[in-house]
Amino acid sequence: MKGTTTMSAIRGSRRLIAGAAGTAALALVLTACGGGSDDGGSGGGGGSAESLVIGTTDKITSLDPAGSYDNGSFAVMNQIYPFLMNTPYGSPDVEPDIAESAEFTSPTEYTVTLKPGLKWANGNDLTSSDVKFTFDRQLAIADENGPSSLLYNLDSVETPDETTVVFKLKSENDQIFPQILSSPVGPIVDEDVFSADAVTPDQEIVDGKAFAGQYSITSYKANELISYEAYDGYQGILGEAKTPKVAAKYFTDASNLKLEVQDGSVDVAFRSLSPTDIEDLRGDDGVKVVDGPGGEIRYITFNFNTQPYGEKQPDADPKKATAVRHAVADLIDREALADQVYKGTYTPLYSFVPEGLTGATEPLKEMYGDGQGGPDADKAKKTLEDAGVETPVELNLQYSNDHYGPSSGDEYALIKDQLEEGGLFTVNLQTTEWVQYSKDRTSDVYPAYQLGWFPDYSDADNYLTPFFLKENFLGNHYVNQDVEDMILEQAVTADEGERAELLGKIQEAEAKDLSTVPYLQGAQVAVTGADVTGTEDTLDASFKFRYAALAKG
Amino acid sequence: MASRSTAGSALGRYVLVRFLLIIPTVFILVTTVFVLMRATGDPITAALGGKLPPDQLAELIHAAGYDRPVIVQYWEYLTGIFSGDFGTTISDNRPVTEILTTYGTATLELAAYAILVALVLGVPFGMVSGYFRDRLPDAVLRILAILAYATPVFFAGLILKLVFSVWLGWFPVAGRVSTGGEITMQLEGAGSGFMLVDAISTGDPEVVLDVLSHAALPAIALGLLTAGVFLRLVRTNMIGTLGTGYIDAARSRGVKESRLVRKHAWRPALIPIITVAGMQVAMLLVGAVLTETTFEWRGLGFQLAEYLQARDFVAVQGIVVLMAVVVAVTNFLVDVLAALIDPRVRY
Repeated sequence: MKGTTTMSAIRGSRRLIAGAAGTAALALVLTACGGGSDDGGSGGGGGSAESLVIGTTDKITSLDPAGSYDNGSFAVMNQIYPFLMNTPYGSPDVEPDIAESAEFTSPTEYTVTLKPGLKWANGNDLTSSDVKFTFDRQLAIADENGPSSLLYNLDSVETPDETTVVFKLKSENDQIFPQILSSPVGPIVDEDVFSADAVTPDQEIVDGKAFAGQYSITSYKANELISYEAYDGYQGILGEAKTPKVAAKYFTDASNLKLEVQDGSVDVAFRSLSPTDIEDLRGDDGVKVVDGPGGEIRYITFNFNTQPYGEKQPDADPKKATAVRHAVADLIDREALADQVYKGTYTPLYSFVPEGLTGATEPLKEMYGDGQGGPDADKAKKTLEDAGVETPVELNLQYSNDHYGPSSGDEYALIKDQLEEGGLFTVNLQTTEWVQYSKDRTSDVYPAYQLGWFPDYSDADNYLTPFFLKENFLGNHYVNQDVEDMILEQAVTADEGERAELLGKIQEAEAKDLSTVPYLQGAQVAVTGADVTGTEDTLDASFKFRYAALAKG
Repeated sequence: MASRSTAGSALGRYVLVRFLLIIPTVFILVTTVFVLMRATGDPITAALGGKLPPDQLAELIHAAGYDRPVIVQYWEYLTGIFSGDFGTTISDNRPVTEILTTYGTATLELAAYAILVALVLGVPFGMVSGYFRDRLPDAVLRILAILAYATPVFFAGLILKLVFSVWLGWFPVAGRVSTGGEITMQLEGAGSGFMLVDAISTGDPEVVLDVLSHAALPAIALGLLTAGVFLRLVRTNMIGTLGTGYIDAARSRGVKESRLVRKHAWRPALIPIITVAGMQVAMLLVGAVLTETTFEWRGLGFQLAEYLQARDFVAVQGIVVLMAVVVAVTNFLVDVLAALIDPRVRY
């Protein structure tokens, strides 16, 4: 009967609905029981429970020092490879690391004596032969992605005995060479594992256990997960690792890294959370935000040919061109850029050499603006008037929208506003994607443009030589023989006091020329769980983030 | 009545023709990818231009053969693909074949989870919706279905992440497994590429649940789209089937309504699902790019996004060709399955 059929149908359909809903609910409950906040110690047994988990958005190009020249790869190398010279915690200056001594034994010979009894994690002896092999292969391979250009002054390497290495240099008394031994070209490699004439694949290096740094790698998945274990054969100045096991997890999305450090899945997040994420995390009691000096700098570069009143312009006038650069320096409000755009993850920079490095001064603070680091539109106006410059000055200013992070647009929008203060400049702000930008800036397309710099080593020289010699990477047609002579002189001045004085003079001279106008210095920022210690120790002017300084609990 | 041998030969002809059609389909897809990639210039300049001096760039271009005539490059490209050589990536110097095999399993796994979600949600709710035609449950389910397939997959992913990971903390934020779980699997030597299989091989239930919990949200985000399609399809076919004469006849013989639905109506209602499933594979692969990126699920879609950013067109080309081949082969299999189930499909 119809009524019976209807009741039966209703019961049947209710069972159907209940069944479907129940299945879905059961699946969700089961998986949620196994999910939720997964910290580094959950989800498995074995050594995982002891691992300190570090999260990063770095990218690794290669574990072979001859095949990479980038932050991501070098960050790993700093944990696993030995260096002849290295920077101890809290200092930008290098000291012998796995070496007993390192000194100039003649003007063109730098002799390093290794500590006795050094071993690789695979049991091989670490001798002077490995050191010679390391540098010979760098020059032989000269990979386009590698750092062999840093060995511009190396002529040859000799090994009179198993622990002695003599570097024969082309120029005398090169005070930068010890720093170069701590740089991306400096990691020493095992000659029994690495190829002499080709970049060695990562897995071969890992399988060959070619490690003698504070850590060795126990498992490796490029740009996904690396497991480290403390290496007890390391005999360098950095000492024993505080945490026996570390896992480095790689993220492509910084927001996921932020969420995982908040929920405890990641113990330490280092490079690169966005300024807004960091600002948000500063208000989270469950994590600590730790700041340290950074080596990255941001600056505006002037093309001396095409800038207003530049040498190739119809109205070329060096005095007016200089006045334009000075006025820009008077108008830039560094504090505003650091606070409003970067929320404190960048700090004001008043020199070409960042704060924290030996020899750094701050000439731009006193010479420009209000004399205390702030802008001064009236001073800028006077500067331009005294030089006979008509205002507003038309300035084409270029920046890259993809190479220096997502905040570049805001950064340069604010700079534009600052320069247009008081009607002194009319800024035509343009952006280009990086590949085209790189071509255009060295083809004199941009009169003034954005650049950034991350150092190869923690020395003032690395902020001067690449920029202000006649042959420099800026390609902006800037030439000052006096500055060039001083830069070459400081590189071979052994006395620290004399060198510091020279560095100060270079910065003063450059502050008058303003080939570039530096304005921001990047801070190193790490976000850690509340129970993580040691982060302050490694966020120093070496700009090397060392896992061995970190501990949990 | 057609004899078995006649039916068998019809099926055989049908399968053969469908199989042979894969060849021109793949050929056209592969050629289209080649033309589109070359339209933007050579991959080396795209990836490394501006980073290297012109003479080094020219050297690399010459070594890779991109300065040769296009027709020569095309021939080598075709012969390479058909011999399984997809070239070497520019940005990280890895064989593209290695990329495809390493990350293809992750995408396959995610697609499998998504199909499962789609079936678990779409089919039963489609049946309910069809049964309660034009009544409240039907209206609600239809609206939900529209929402499911109208919502962009990345948006669905972000909302799921926000609600279930961030606010409620029920599920992990990203990845295929926790760091601890992954280390455990590495220590056990598990390396099939299928995370669930590797987790099961460790014998640790915690690791298995860890993997499943990481898969839940990406699977739901990707599966919802297809679930909505399945729901509507099953509903339509349920309505059609429940109105047929043989169902009325069974009903008049006193067969219970629940049995009618369970035994007689649902099978014919599922036949179109099989054919639509083939089309949904392409949608899943497209959706996988966004889902994998949102959840950092390191599969082919994730890698495709990475290589696009790096302008590594050799890698992009290889991944897109593989996806095109997968879609073509899947549609072939679906066509065969449909022919096996429904003789009307054969000719």
